[in-house]
Formats: sequence, C-alpha cells, structure tokens
Amino acid sequence: MAAVKVNELHREDLPWIIEYDESKCIQCGKCTAVCSFGAISPCVEMRKKSGNIAEKQNLEKVLVVKQNVGFENHCVGCGMCTAVCPNGAIKAVRNLDDRYAIRYRAEKGESLKRGGRSNLNTEGRTLDKIKIGRISQMTDPSLDAIRHTFEIKTPFGRVLSADKLGFDVDGNNIIQSRTLPPNRWIYPVIFGDMSIGAISSRMWEAIAIATAYLNEKVGLPIRMCTGEGGIPVSLLKSRYLKYMILQIASGHFGWNRIIETMPEMVEDPAGILIKIGQGAKPGDGGLLMANKVSEYVQEIRGVPKADLMSPPTHQGLYSIEESVQKMFLSMNAAFNFRVPVAIKVAASVTSVSVYNNLLRDPYNIVGGFFIDGFAGGTGAAHEISLNHTGHPITSKVRDCYLAAVHQGRQGEIPLFAGGGLGQTGSFAADAFKLICLGANGVFTGRHLLQIAGCCGNDTEKCNACSTGNCPAGIASQKACLTKRLDVDKVAENIVNYMIATDIELRKLMAPVGCSTLPVGRSDALITVDRHIAQRLDIQYSI
Amino acid sequence: MCRIGAIKSKKYLHPSIALKLMRSQQEGHDDSGFAFIMQDLGGIFEHHKDLPILSMAGTVEGTRKAEDILLNLGFKRVLQWTPNINHQKGLKIEPMPNYMFEVVQYPKSHKYATQEEKEELLIDTALKIRKALEEDNSGYIYAFWPDTLVLKEIGSPKDIGTYFSLWEENTELCSKVITAQCRQNTNYDIVRYAAHPFFLEGYTVLANGENTFYEKNRLYQQNLNRAYIGFESDSQCFLYTLHYLHKILKWPIQYYKHVITPLPIEKIEKRTDKDILLRIKASLSHLEINGPNTVLGVLPDYSMVCVCDSKKLRPVVIGRNDDMVVMTSEVAGINELLPDRDLSKDIYPTENETIVIKEDLTVERWQQ
Amino acid sequence: MERIETLNNENRMSTQELLQLIQAKIDAGCTDFEINACGQHNIGGSSWAKDKSKTLNFVLRNPGQRVGAMGMKGTFIVVEGSVPADTGWLNSGAEIIVKGDCGDTAAHCAASGEIYVGGRVGARSGALMKHDPKFKLPEFWVLKNTGSFSFEFMGGGVAVICGHDCEKLKSVLGERSCVGMVGGTVYVRGAVDNVASCVEILPLAQSDIEFLASGMERFLSKIGRIDLKKELTNWSEWHKIQPIAVKTSQKRMSIKEFRETEWIEGGIFGEFISDDFSVHELAGTGDSRCRIPEWNKELCIGCNICIKNCPQKAISESFVADSEKCIGCGICAALCPKSAWKMVNNNKEITK
Repeated sequence: MAAVKVNELHREDLPWIIEYDESKCIQCGKCTAVCSFGAISPCVEMRKKSGNIAEKQNLEKVLVVKQNVGFENHCVGCGMCTAVCPNGAIKAVRNLDDRYAIRYRAEKGESLKRGGRSNLNTEGRTLDKIKIGRISQMTDPSLDAIRHTFEIKTPFGRVLSADKLGFDVDGNNIIQSRTLPPNRWIYPVIFGDMSIGAISSRMWEAIAIATAYLNEKVGLPIRMCTGEGGIPVSLLKSRYLKYMILQIASGHFGWNRIIETMPEMVEDPAGILIKIGQGAKPGDGGLLMANKVSEYVQEIRGVPKADLMSPPTHQGLYSIEESVQKMFLSMNAAFNFRVPVAIKVAASVTSVSVYNNLLRDPYNIVGGFFIDGFAGGTGAAHEISLNHTGHPITSKVRDCYLAAVHQGRQGEIPLFAGGGLGQTGSFAADAFKLICLGANGVFTGRHLLQIAGCCGNDTEKCNACSTGNCPAGIASQKACLTKRLDVDKVAENIVNYMIATDIELRKLMAPVGCSTLPVGRSDALITVDRHIAQRLDIQYSI
Repeated sequence: MCRIGAIKSKKYLHPSIALKLMRSQQEGHDDSGFAFIMQDLGGIFEHHKDLPILSMAGTVEGTRKAEDILLNLGFKRVLQWTPNINHQKGLKIEPMPNYMFEVVQYPKSHKYATQEEKEELLIDTALKIRKALEEDNSGYIYAFWPDTLVLKEIGSPKDIGTYFSLWEENTELCSKVITAQCRQNTNYDIVRYAAHPFFLEGYTVLANGENTFYEKNRLYQQNLNRAYIGFESDSQCFLYTLHYLHKILKWPIQYYKHVITPLPIEKIEKRTDKDILLRIKASLSHLEINGPNTVLGVLPDYSMVCVCDSKKLRPVVIGRNDDMVVMTSEVAGINELLPDRDLSKDIYPTENETIVIKEDLTVERWQQ
Repeated sequence: MERIETLNNENRMSTQELLQLIQAKIDAGCTDFEINACGQHNIGGSSWAKDKSKTLNFVLRNPGQRVGAMGMKGTFIVVEGSVPADTGWLNSGAEIIVKGDCGDTAAHCAASGEIYVGGRVGARSGALMKHDPKFKLPEFWVLKNTGSFSFEFMGGGVAVICGHDCEKLKSVLGERSCVGMVGGTVYVRGAVDNVASCVEILPLAQSDIEFLASGMERFLSKIGRIDLKKELTNWSEWHKIQPIAVKTSQKRMSIKEFRETEWIEGGIFGEFISDDFSVHELAGTGDSRCRIPEWNKELCIGCNICIKNCPQKAISESFVADSEKCIGCGICAALCPKSAWKMVNNNKEITK
C-alpha cells in the first residue's frame, strides 16, 4: 500500500464523494464506462478474510468501484453514473467539508477555472421578489391569453425619434425621403451567444436548427447570436443567415471567413453584436482551453491547439468615442448600413454612462444595447471572476431605461437584458419583469444548455464546461461525448420550450390587459421588498 | 366611466345642448362632474375671435394674481364675462369663489408678432399663471387661447347647469363647437384639472376609458414639450399625443391612429406604406395606448375627430342632420337632440377607423 | 296602457326611480306600458305580469343600455329607434324588437327568447350566447351587420345576420368574429372576412333553409320591413358558421424531417466534419467509449481472469476486446494481475 501524506489531495478534500453500495452492485461496468471525467474506476480491494492481515493468505481480493483522487480526474457530481446504474448502487454526494479549491491553488499556483454560472445563493434573487401586481380588474378588461391576439415583438436596430425621421407630408400621406438606420421587428428573446468551440458542433447546430424552425414553422421571429468562434461558410451562404446575429469580440475569430464570404451571401445577417464584455466574467476576455480546440475549431478560428485567451478589450479601443467610430462605423459599413449593429457589455456601475453616450451619438449607428448580468453563464472562466465580479442585471436595466427617459430617448436604442434568466425556473416571468422595467427584450445562453440536458447547476454541480469532458456532449469537442447529444431532440426541446414561453408571456400580458409588449410598464410590477421598490421605483406592497 | 360628447354645428348653439346631450347618459357616468369647452364662439365673443380668452376659476386672490400677471406682461382687458350664478340651495356642486372669462388684447410688443410668436406668448403666460395659482392653491387655469372658453366643475351635471344658469338658452353665450364630459376623475382624488375635455393650443380631447399605457405615455411625453404637464388624468396623454403629432410633427390626422393603436406587424407587412408605418410604430412605441378607449378631438381648424382602441372596447356613435353632427358615447344622447334624423346615416366607428368631421360637416372616414 | 314620461323640464327620472315605478305599476296589475325614456337602463327586464295568463308589453322611446336585459318569457318589448349597448343581455325568454340600431354587445349571453334588430349591432354582439336544451333556443336576428369581435365565445343558439345594405362592407361580421366559439350557429348573408380559425364557413343544408325560411317573414314583419323578403331569401347568398366539428390537429413537421429536407445539406459543419447525427447511448460501445482497453502481449500470462470477468463478454481467447461489445469499463485492467490491460482515453474528435 502506498504511503499517505498530509500534504496531498485526499478523497475527503474533493467537492463530491462517491457513495457506493457494494451489495447492490452487479459489476456491469457501466458507471465507470460512462464517466467522462475518469473520476471512478473499477478496482481490486484487499479485504480481511481471517487472522492477521499481515499474512497474505488472510486477505481476499474484491472487485469494487473506487473514486479516483486527482486534480484532473475528480468527481464533479454530474450524476451520469447514477443514471446508468441498473440498481442505484452508486451516487455522488456533495462534500460539505470540501477543501478542493484551497488545495488546487496551493498545489498548482494557478487560478481555478471552471464553467457554469456564478455559484451564488439565488434565494435572494431580486426578480423573484417582484410580482405582476397591476391586474386589470374593472378599470379595463383583461384579455384571454389563448384566444385573443397578441403581438410579442420588439424593434432591433436604431430607432429615431419621430421628429428625426425626416418624413415629408404630401396631402394626407407621409412620404419617406431619406435613408434611415436599419431596424427590424423580432421576438423579444435572442439566443446567444455561445461560440463554436465553447459548445460542441452538435449543440451549436441544434440551436441554429431550432432558430430556423421557430422562424419558419412556428412563426416566432427569434434571432440567434453566433458567439465569436467563427461561423461555417455553409451557414453564411444560406438563407438562414437572416436569423443570425454575427458576433465580433476581442478575438475577432472567424471574421476573415465572414468577410471573404460576403459576395456570396444571399441574405443579410439579422444583425451584428459587438461583444465588449460578458456578465459571467466581466472585464475578462474569452477563454477556451486547449482541450476543446479541436481540429475544426482550429481551422474555423485560424489558431493552433492552445489555450485561447482573448484579450479583455478590443485592441485599439480606449474610449467610447473610438469604439463608436471604429467598431460601429466599420460594422455598419461592412453591410452598407443595412444591418443593425448592437453592443453587448457586462452590467457594471458604468453601464449608464455608456448607454447615455451611445444615445447621444450623432451618427445613430448603435442599434441595440445588450446588458449581461453577473448571473450569466460561461464555458470557462477564472472562478474568482465568476464568483466575485459583476453586477446584477435588474437594477442596471432599470437604470439604463430611466437614463433614457431622463434624456427623453427611451426606446431609441433597444435594451436587451440577460444573465441568469430562468435560473429559478421561470424564464418567461423573468423576461416579462425585465421588459416591464424597461428592456425591449432578453437574451439567453446557458438556459438553452439546460434545456438541452446540461446537468450542471448553480450550486457547484458539474460546472466542468471548461474541461472538455462535458458528460452531456454539450460543451465538449470529443467525438465520444458530442455524439451523446441528439441534435434533433435538443432542437425540438428548444422549440417546445419557446412555444411554452410564448404562451406563458401571453399568460402574463393578458391579466395586465396588454396585447403588445409592456416595455417600461413598471406600473404593472409590485414588490414586497421595500429596498427593491425604492431602488427600481416600483410599488411597494405588503 | 366617463360619458363624452362633441357637437359641431353650422349654427351657433347654447351650451344647454351639451347638458341635454349628456342628460340621458347619466347612468353611464357617475354624476360627479361636468366640464365643457366651447370653440368657434358666437354671441358676445363673436367679434373678438383673434384675441385670447383666459378661462379660469379661483379664489379672489387667484383671479387677482392671474390678472396681475396679464397686466404685467402688457395684455389689456377687452371684455370680461362671468356666468350668472344661481345660488339656489341644495345644489350638488362644489363651486369655486370666482369664475373668470376674460378677453384680452395682445401686448404692444406683440403687435407685429408672427402667429408663432403669439402662440409662444400664450403658452408661456398660461404656464406662468398655472404655476402662480398652484403656489397657494388659489385657482385653476383651463385655457388661454383665442376663441375658446372652458368651464369645469365638480358635482352633478344637472346642478352644475342650474348653478351657472346654463339650462336657460340665450344668445350671449354660444358657439359652433361644443365638447362636454360628465364625471370627475373618481379613480383618484377629485381634481379639476383631471376633468376632460383637455385643451392645448387649439386642440381639444375627450376620452373614455382607461389608458393602460399611461406610465409609458407620461414618461415619454414629459420630455416632448414644456406644455405637456399635469398628467392628473391618464387621458391627458391622448391630448398630448394628438398635439405632438399634428402640431409639432405636422403629420396628417390619419396617422394619429397609427401612433396610438399601431397595426400588427403582419398587417403592416402587406401594405405599400409599410416602411413608414414600421418606423412610426418603432419611433413612437411609447405613445401607444393598449387599453379600452374612445377618443374624441377637435383640431384648431374646428374639424372633429373620433377614434377607438384597437379592440373597440368603448362605445361611441355619431348622429347627424344637415346642420349638426353629434358624437357621443351613447345613442340615447343623440336621440334627445336629433330625434328625427335618418338613423341609417348614423356612424358606428370601428376599431380601425378615423372619422373626421370637416368644416362643412362632411364626413371623412379613413381606414387604418 | 300605462304612459310614463321620464323628463320634466331639466329633471330626469333616474333609472332606479323609473324601474321602481314600473314595478309598482306591475304589482298593481298593469301589463302594457308606453315609456318615453331618457336613456334609463334595464327597461323591460326581469319582470313578469301579476296575472300569469297575461303578457307584459313595452313600447319604448329612447331607452338606455340593456333594454330587456334578463328579459323573461312573456315579456314583449318594442323600441322604435336605436339603443345603446347590451340590448337583450342575458335574455331568458323575452321578445325584444329594436327597429333601429343596437350598440355594442347586443344579445350578450342571451340564452333564450328572440331579439330582432332592424338595423346594425355593435362590437362583440352575440358574445357568449348559449342554449340550455330545457329552454327555447335563443334567436338573434339582425337586418344589417355586426361590429367586430362578434360571437366571441359563443356556446349555443342561433344568430341570423342578413347583410342588408352591406354591399360595400368587407365583412358583415366585422373583423375577428367567432373567436373562441364552441357551439351554436351564425347564419350570414354577404361577405365574411377574417373569422377565427376555430370555426368553419359552410353552405346551407336543407334544414337550415327551412329554419331561415320559416323565420324570415316573422322577423321582417316584426321590424316592419316585409318589403325586403325577396332580397333576403335568395339562399344561395347565405352561409352558416359553426365551430369546426372535428379538430384536425395540425402536426408540425418533425425537426428530423426539417433537418433532412430543408436544413443545410450535410449539416452546417459539413465542410469540416462528417457527422451522421446518430446518437450514442450512455456507456455505449465502439467510438462511444470514453476509454479503450489496450492489451500488452508482453505482460500477459494467459490467466484468463479478464476473459472470465468481462461483463460484456467482449474479450476473445486471443485477448482482443471486441469494440462492438466493449464499453470501456476498465474491469479487465483492474483485475489483471500483471497490468497487461491498460485503459487509454478516447480523445478522438469528430472529423471528416
């Protein structure tokens, strides 16, 4: 037996402990086979048969399942072993005395990285403390969510105030004589923006298929943001490009191919999203660990197999004015000012300053402002960023909306909110409340992964997207794992989820008496929390 | 609920007609107030059509303050009219001490001023008076505009009529356009400013129903124009939107409907003017109304307008003969005024229509 | 005949006063009323003659909302002109004739009796009409057209919309008619547009024609327009609207079919990888394995422990792990006394 020393990683240090019931185990081997982390292995245990254990003949060999102890191959609690065990003989149990994080840093001299979301207590979630409290009762009639008509759409792209539309009047008609910034009406939910590489080819394609299907077969004009990991040329050349919002972030990955393909595009993209920052790791650039940089990811991004750490900022952009000119102008020009160009920033104390500036931009080239709250997800980040940086989304959306109101320019740059929506199971309610607070729409990424079968959660379950060993085949580039994912089923689940969301949005609009999106209707909201009421300027109710 | 009415006539009418119009609709409102606006004035005002008239109610102090402000700015009194008050006991009314309707001459400084400059002066003056009256709660200014007279009071419309001797017809007080509403703003505190019709720079609006997008409308309008103030009633938003669209943006009245009740995208997409309508829908999305409403309006050229919400959740009907067009909530009111009209010529506006009654009483119907 | 005036100079009798006065007179045995109303509500509703062999008869001028609301069998109401909203609301048996137009929501929730309108009716008319089979079928006859959203949530009864003088209208039922309709029949003459998807527009059957033919003369004589009989009895101009009997649930195309027939051929990653989109089961064999066993001949002593203990019986006598059987559990490697089996991570990527 190997010697055991104090300053080593022990089973008791790990975040999850495998509970194994030998009496139920039939030694079928499925649990050890399925574990993508190599966190458990079959193992021969020596047991005492009789007499003194120093005598070899007094021991017997027993085949058991053993938990491995290592920084690279420890259990993350994903639960796949339990899923495949015919007898319920094995289970990962949360270790309350976990010392993993401290051991990792002490041993490696590196920051801890993982995927997932900020593992914070969600009990105090602001959105859950807000209710829709202004119900149509006699003052005006509530609507029938199923049988009446609703229009759940929002503009995407720069909206000019009416006096700047440059309309001319000819008798009883208005005529439009000048070119106006591009603006499209879309469903107020945007899928995004997860890059190829961060998620598997199948997961990415499933979202793309679901997006196309929702548009063409269901009639929900949902848009998908590509993330910044390149885009397959076949998609760029297809008519489905019109549902895609192309992302450009600090890495500019894949843009050479986009530019190259422009002459062959049959449709304009739905928009362009300049990503400045991300809610899950604000102030930090993209991070793709080498083990996920597979061959096609290398090709599409134009990089070798290495840890890809994008810079936290776009090189050459040091002020809002420069950003507007370099990024917005260039991106607008790329498609000859036909495609809305929006920006995504991590929610921050500074968001309002940015929004104010963009609203005042005289060239009207900013077509949307995406704010990502700190409960957003990521494929990989330093845990220190995930858990300790960022800003909640709710008050920031409200602040931005009210800043626009103060300028008299609400709605001119549509606001989209994201970050942790659906975290406590009510995606439609989260979306509705944010819209009432002033958002034009919402965006969601990680929630799609959960719809697809991600087994992770916000209480440290799995969160191993960064390792490339995603047991669901969602955030992995390994063939053996990716192929666990059923593209058709995932797309179908996303489609169904959005149809359900659409019904649920109507179920919230109807009692408020709204047949169109209640953007800024904060009068519809109440809260039982005095501080929330005061901060968001909504009615305090007890 | 409010009951609203608007009358346009070729001949001068006494406001008793408004009391008669609203009388049969009593159970449709709650008997809590009566207000009316007379435009295109006759009688004693007929020869002063170009001169502004101050319509206000206040304490002695309040009316004095208003007069001082006018005098200080150089306005000169031309004519003053006060209603003949009937102090009969037991009337259900909460009167103010003084009611003042004063025709004034523009200050000398504005003798050669443009129309626009004169209008600016009137708005500034009205805002100044309102502010002064609000300081010590000494009164209410309803309008300061040529050819326009406004009276609002709290109480039973019948008794308000009796109090101001409005049931007795005379030729002194008459006009060709009369808009009237019964009910006070009983959802909230009773405030005189909350009573329709609302008036701003030649635009009059009355509305029936709840503006469920009040918060959105208000937040947007408060920055659009310095005269968009008060918001004591959610229906004021309809006036400000009308004023903004027609006076500030100078858009044709047909587009009012496209602003307050924009068509669904799928309908717009099928139209040749879709680019314009989509822009309007996006740019003025904060002026949309989404509740149950009928809106009646009078434009500066004294044409009358009627539109409804897109679900047609509030009543309205238009009856007419050769001399008069009457728009009101319930046909019972029209039956009182025009019992022998041709019923088949009555108009029941639909949820998609804009109805305009032109100067010669011809009717234009615009489908959205 | 009892004649009631409700106006005395500027003093108007309130609805409450009028209804109490009518009731007092009914209690005193009156059955026939002629009322010069001034917009009072609910006239003619929920009352019955003291002498049950008699009927209650009202001739009204300028009533207000809800004429004949909650009207009962044996009540007959005639209005000479037009009336505001809610005529015949919850009608439970009265005959109500309005010679002019009705405002919005006429015949709302009417459950029995007859409502005859000699003009138009407003928005949401006929909404929630219903029929209790123990009572007479409610009928709602309209000479001209309805406003929009008519017959919403209709559950039973019959409405007949004659479309007279409506040649210029796009739809004699307004827009979005019959939303949520689950029962009853709407007969309509003339153009119909934009009705709800839950109903179907059908040609008349012989029984429908018989019903309309027998009722039309009665209707026209009630409203005094028998002159229109010829115009309105050309049955080829009529249709009926009923809820769709058997709902053919429209099935959406499956995602698989969409992917295979409409989506980009070979998938969007086809230029880089070939993916057949087959789905591997968890703990599957072959390429699905996370780890693959490798046998080292040099170390093997031929004890056959691995062969005997492999749960998949995947190891052959010559120590080849059959990839179609092996799931990569690692038991062979764990049991081998000489470590001749080694588990190697399957890091293969999807490639061309």
